Amino acid sequence: MFTKILFATSATKESDHAARVAFNIAGSYDAHLDIFHVPGVPSRGYSQVVVDVKTKERVDVDDDYLEWVKDEIRTYYAKYLENGLRYDITVAIGFPAREILRQAKDTEPDLILLGGSTGDEEEAVYKKSMAGTTLQKIARSAKCPVLVVNRPAASFWGGLSNITFGTDFSKASDKAFEFAMKVAKNLDCELNVFHALDITSGATGEMLSQDEIEQKIREALRMIRGRYESRLKELKHYSMDVWEGIPFIEIVKYARDIHSDLIVMAHHSKKTEKADAILGSNVEQVIVRAGCPVISVNR
Amino acid sequence: MPEGKYCNKTPVNTPEEVNFLLSDTSGNQYYKEMKNLEVDSDLLWATIQKTLKSRLRTWLEICAHCGMCADSCFLYLVNDRDPKQVPAYKIQSTLGEIIKRKGKVDNAFMRHAMEVAWAQCTCCNRCGTYCPHGIDTGIMFGYLRGLLYQQGFVPWEMKIGAGMHRAYRAQMDVTNEDFVETFEWMVEENEEEYIGLTVPVDVENADIMYTVNAREVKHYPEDLAEAAILFHAAGENWTVPSEGWEQTSLAMFAGDWAACKMQVESVYAAMEKLKPKRMIGTECGHAHRATVIEGPYWAGRENGLPPVESIHYVEWLAEALREGKLKIDPSKRIRELVTMQDSCNYVRNQGLKNATREIMSHIVEPGYFVEMSPNKEHNFCCGGGGGFNGIGLFRKQRNKGLEKKRDQILATGAKLVLAPCHNCWDAIRDLEEEFKIGIRWSFLKPIIIKMLVLPDHMKPEE
Repeated sequence: MFTKILFATSATKESDHAARVAFNIAGSYDAHLDIFHVPGVPSRGYSQVVVDVKTKERVDVDDDYLEWVKDEIRTYYAKYLENGLRYDITVAIGFPAREILRQAKDTEPDLILLGGSTGDEEEAVYKKSMAGTTLQKIARSAKCPVLVVNRPAASFWGGLSNITFGTDFSKASDKAFEFAMKVAKNLDCELNVFHALDITSGATGEMLSQDEIEQKIREALRMIRGRYESRLKELKHYSMDVWEGIPFIEIVKYARDIHSDLIVMAHHSKKTEKADAILGSNVEQVIVRAGCPVISVNR
Repeated sequence: MPEGKYCNKTPVNTPEEVNFLLSDTSGNQYYKEMKNLEVDSDLLWATIQKTLKSRLRTWLEICAHCGMCADSCFLYLVNDRDPKQVPAYKIQSTLGEIIKRKGKVDNAFMRHAMEVAWAQCTCCNRCGTYCPHGIDTGIMFGYLRGLLYQQGFVPWEMKIGAGMHRAYRAQMDVTNEDFVETFEWMVEENEEEYIGLTVPVDVENADIMYTVNAREVKHYPEDLAEAAILFHAAGENWTVPSEGWEQTSLAMFAGDWAACKMQVESVYAAMEKLKPKRMIGTECGHAHRATVIEGPYWAGRENGLPPVESIHYVEWLAEALREGKLKIDPSKRIRELVTMQDSCNYVRNQGLKNATREIMSHIVEPGYFVEMSPNKEHNFCCGGGGGFNGIGLFRKQRNKGLEKKRDQILATGAKLVLAPCHNCWDAIRDLEEEFKIGIRWSFLKPIIIKMLVLPDHMKPEE
């Protein structure tokens, strides 16, 4: 299922939750882990100076510095690296999203695993990249699914056994479904197909009566059955559900409720503008809020 | 020890030599060795006799020391009007002195001259517009840099930059394969969103041959995608050369005239091979100066022009907007105070002030564009021109130099600064980092793409 995983990490505590998941998945499924880190963002035009993401100091990049950074990463993750894990450590200078995508282009992993944000956006060195967040850019452009762990993955105990697949019935969601099916089959997981009925006034234009809501829920369930059930029968355990509310909140609640250890969703926000970054698309909101890892599938 | 391991008079020519020089972190050893570097006075004097032509001789001779140039120099202004920062003084006390002494100057003098040439002048040529005699100190400093380079008295990063051009025909270690591959990658990343997007490589007789800045390839290749999107949206028949695609010239900043020639000839060879109607370069100031304005002379072209008509990106943008090839959604125009940096290299030195303003009239809601003061050909250097941005040794002086631009921007009240020049873009980014005045900065391409009305054939099916 996962043979090659690209784990992009800040190698700081912000990525600790992601690291736990990354090393666990790689270990459980005998995948090769490419630990990838961007230690510095280029500064000063054509000078050799970068701003170190940890110390926020200006450093001159040379082989010694890069080796030192690799050693730091090796030390930071020492306890995970003991058990015969197959891994590489790669460091590259540049803007993180771009360099992660470049590495993915070169190594063609079947999963990109992103660590958490480096914290305070105002101070973060990575912010020097252009508009849009690292996550948005990668989710938009990556050719493989992108797994993000933002919060402590409370229900992630090791391995994957229970998947929530959130659908909005779009084409992109169909792609995400295929991926969720593949994971469920290969790793023998339970797959729970979930749709959240958006009853916020922004989506419906008016307050819906309870009868209308229930009518729409029935319709959505019918759609889920029509669209996915014939395939779901290939699995031992599956379920289908529709809840109403604010979509991203309902997905997070649902996944928590059924103890999912993975949420799979499609990413089809094509925009990377600032406004979207603040508001966020559903999947981005889910990533920020979920208590388990979230995989965003783009194509 | 006259010639050092790192610091010497020999240019850097190969990737191995570039890497060797780079391995000396911060150029620490390089600058130590420079203290012992011998001045070859005979060579210096012979070179001057061969290359110092009547214009520069006259300028040095007729300078009336009137001081009119003083207030024109942003470095003089930000350094508390230090008399040592008066352009006339700066050049007379360096180049003038070398000539007076017939090249018999010592190591300490040359190191001082290096500091003046790279940390006290950005070759912005502003003083030249204010001198009653029309003396252009920037041009003379360009010449002095050549003499210093020949003698090995050149800042570490500049020697590396010039070496990159010699080794790669690009300002960074980007090979021709890297360039084409990266461009194709960027198109691939965007082709679902922009139907029909391609990068036509080495197409002969295209209307446009596009050239870039290697840093786009290396660090922000989005810029390549953006160029492709805009050409495609405008329905242009365009191409990029697989060789001769680098428009910039750090060799020009370094004073490495031989490398300048090598670099620009690679672009001209591409023009001659592909025979495009026009060449258009990216949003870069010095690249345009190097390839379009000065390059023909370096390459010894008798008509003083590149092999095909060559225009700056802003000229193409203005034209495309004017002719309706690119359509702007009026509701998406910029509706906040916005200012724009005039690049010395194509505004003061070539007079393209109207092109950028024409672009502003299309993309900014009337009333929101605020000019800096002064502006157009009178605008001040961004503070990082002429190589200043890249030199670690002179970082402190450079940061001081940014103060003028900071104050100009603050006075506009704008929080968004458009900078259609790589050097200016960098300097303005750095000044935000240094002074935290709360501004954003951008090239034109991404701004225009956001407000573009895509032709129907480019829209993806939903």
